[in-house]
Amino acid sequence: MPKVSNWQIGRDCEYPYDGHRPARQWSIIFDLNKCIACQTCTLACKTTWTSGKGQEYMFWNNVETKPWGGYPLAWDLRILEQLGRQDWGANGEYLGKTLVEAAPENERVLHYAPVDEDWMYPNIGEDDCGGGTVDGGMHQASLPHDQWFFYLPRTCAHCTYPACLAACPRKAIYKREEDGIVLIDQSRCKGYGECVRACPYKKSMYNPHTRTSEKCIGCYPAVEQGIQPQCVVNCIGKIRVMGFINPPAKARADNPIDYLVHEKGLALPYYPQLGLEPNIYYIPPIHADRDYLRQMFGPRVEDAIEAYRKLPEDPRASGLLCLIGSTDRIMHRFDVKKGMAYGYDEAGAEIVRVPVTEDVIVRAPFDAKLGASRHNTP
Amino acid sequence: MNHVLHSPRNPSRSGALRRAALWTCASGALLAACKGDSKPAGTPPTPARTPAPPISALEVRAVSGDLSKPDPEAPYWAEVPAGQVALTAQAMVTPRSAKTMTEAIEVAAAHDGKYIAFRLSWPDRDKSEAGRLGQYSDAAAIQFAVKDVATTPVMMGAPDQPVHIFHWRAQYQRDAEQGKPTMAQLYPHMSIDMYPMEFKEAKGGTPEQQEQFSPGRAEGNPQSYEKTGVDEIIAEGISTSAVQAGHSGAAKGTWKDGWWTLVITRPLAVEGGSVLKAGAETGVAFAVWQGGEEEVGSRKSIMMSWLPTKVL
Repeated sequence: MPKVSNWQIGRDCEYPYDGHRPARQWSIIFDLNKCIACQTCTLACKTTWTSGKGQEYMFWNNVETKPWGGYPLAWDLRILEQLGRQDWGANGEYLGKTLVEAAPENERVLHYAPVDEDWMYPNIGEDDCGGGTVDGGMHQASLPHDQWFFYLPRTCAHCTYPACLAACPRKAIYKREEDGIVLIDQSRCKGYGECVRACPYKKSMYNPHTRTSEKCIGCYPAVEQGIQPQCVVNCIGKIRVMGFINPPAKARADNPIDYLVHEKGLALPYYPQLGLEPNIYYIPPIHADRDYLRQMFGPRVEDAIEAYRKLPEDPRASGLLCLIGSTDRIMHRFDVKKGMAYGYDEAGAEIVRVPVTEDVIVRAPFDAKLGASRHNTP
Repeated sequence: MNHVLHSPRNPSRSGALRRAALWTCASGALLAACKGDSKPAGTPPTPARTPAPPISALEVRAVSGDLSKPDPEAPYWAEVPAGQVALTAQAMVTPRSAKTMTEAIEVAAAHDGKYIAFRLSWPDRDKSEAGRLGQYSDAAAIQFAVKDVATTPVMMGAPDQPVHIFHWRAQYQRDAEQGKPTMAQLYPHMSIDMYPMEFKEAKGGTPEQQEQFSPGRAEGNPQSYEKTGVDEIIAEGISTSAVQAGHSGAAKGTWKDGWWTLVITRPLAVEGGSVLKAGAETGVAFAVWQGGEEEVGSRKSIMMSWLPTKVL
């Protein structure tokens, strides 16, 4: 089997096809310290792409509450427990097996097949601190461990080495050269569900009406016009940004994605040990359990949290975070100078500018010109 | 014209005995023991069947009757001997079944000068018609070579050596008999506010516009439309199968007492596909999928070589 280079696990790994990186790679970064699980991204995606028959249960974008939530049910636990030990070496090299390396001889990837019921609880575990009725108190007070949680928004990761693509016996899944977006060819898919079984993140979904499998399309019609996906531009918390990521050797310090992932080490791939080189990246939540975060984001999570805590001392990184969510357009380059952050499109034209620190304006409680008091209440 | 057929599996005595033993196992009360322990308690044991004798070639006799309509119970089947052919789990490509789910298939064939019909029987303890998420359909297929069977690879053909396949699914047959199930039929307790352009009396869209919200249909994928029971497929190698427009074949399967009995009928000559002639030798191959065992696509039981077939 061919070996492909996977920088996320610090070594080469097995993949059924020869390694090839597209000309550009679609990527999203999420700041998990800011997500409030309002599900606006989920609904933006839902109303745009999956309102049809057979898509009733589909959430190409979902937000789940970790550690207890998951859609489909316990997708992460069920693949992790099959994979066995997932140790990392001191130099950042992954010592365990990837899904392809751990595959039984009759399969292309190690996987589990979700059943109907697994897809029936998209909000399970969400804000799961209540004790039932209001007067029941909060059952988190009785939990025998530290109390922490965070929200995890997820889309298809448009992996560099997709398990769905590897598993499709019809070769009906392809990765676009122009942006690395992974698509299921709706004219060729026969709905075998191999991609549904194979994707560890469970972002391929079977449509019982069309009898084909479907997945997040990265909002490619928008991306082709230089516009970020619906889930990104509708994020009211401004926690996410879409751009193009380069592998470390080709990283550009003025590329917003490269800067946060490679230059600052702030954003990390999730479950890199699965070996697919997923292209959604997370700024880890600084208050969540470190062992859990290390399992999910790998050994560099401590460094990422350290870097996040130092953000106030770093005007360039702070400036970039201010740009996130401030434009619908895809930022290919950014700059921060004299207290202002600038975003540029592919041609180098400025598409957005924001102050790194906004002015604080104090208004008097009485507006003399209008002769009226300024109240929040009527 | 004399085709030089790929020699079938050598029906050595030990091999035949092994297959006979497997067949007895699969067809008798040992079925549950052979296939695992998940058979629900209280399910009556599969009635014993006298297994058909193993065959290494198939003779297609002429019978009187209208073979254009598939009929597993037609009287002419009594005139045609059935033989047994061994299958094994597809092993060429992954993903594949970890073990052989259908050890053997019983085959009989007849023709009426215009149509040729194949009757296939195999044990399958569950009738699986698919529909909801994570469900797969029972299925079977017959494959013919479009050109010279002697040089056409039995595993889905090869470039410029196409194969012609008739692929039946229980799911497709259900479509033909009862219509393609709606989402409300698949999920009776599902709640949905509205579908785009289909809000109660204010529909507001043409069927074509509504189909834009069903990607497979919008792309004209044959998989996404109501089926007639059997798909006609041309393939030129693994992962190239393509459903053909138009239907020359027909199929009818019945499931009873843990067995499927399926008749697939087709014209002897199919333009643009395979052409069978009385007096000529050719080859056929069979495949079976057990949907209840999550078999689909490349997870199937198949023949490892063409079964030499003579149309008498």
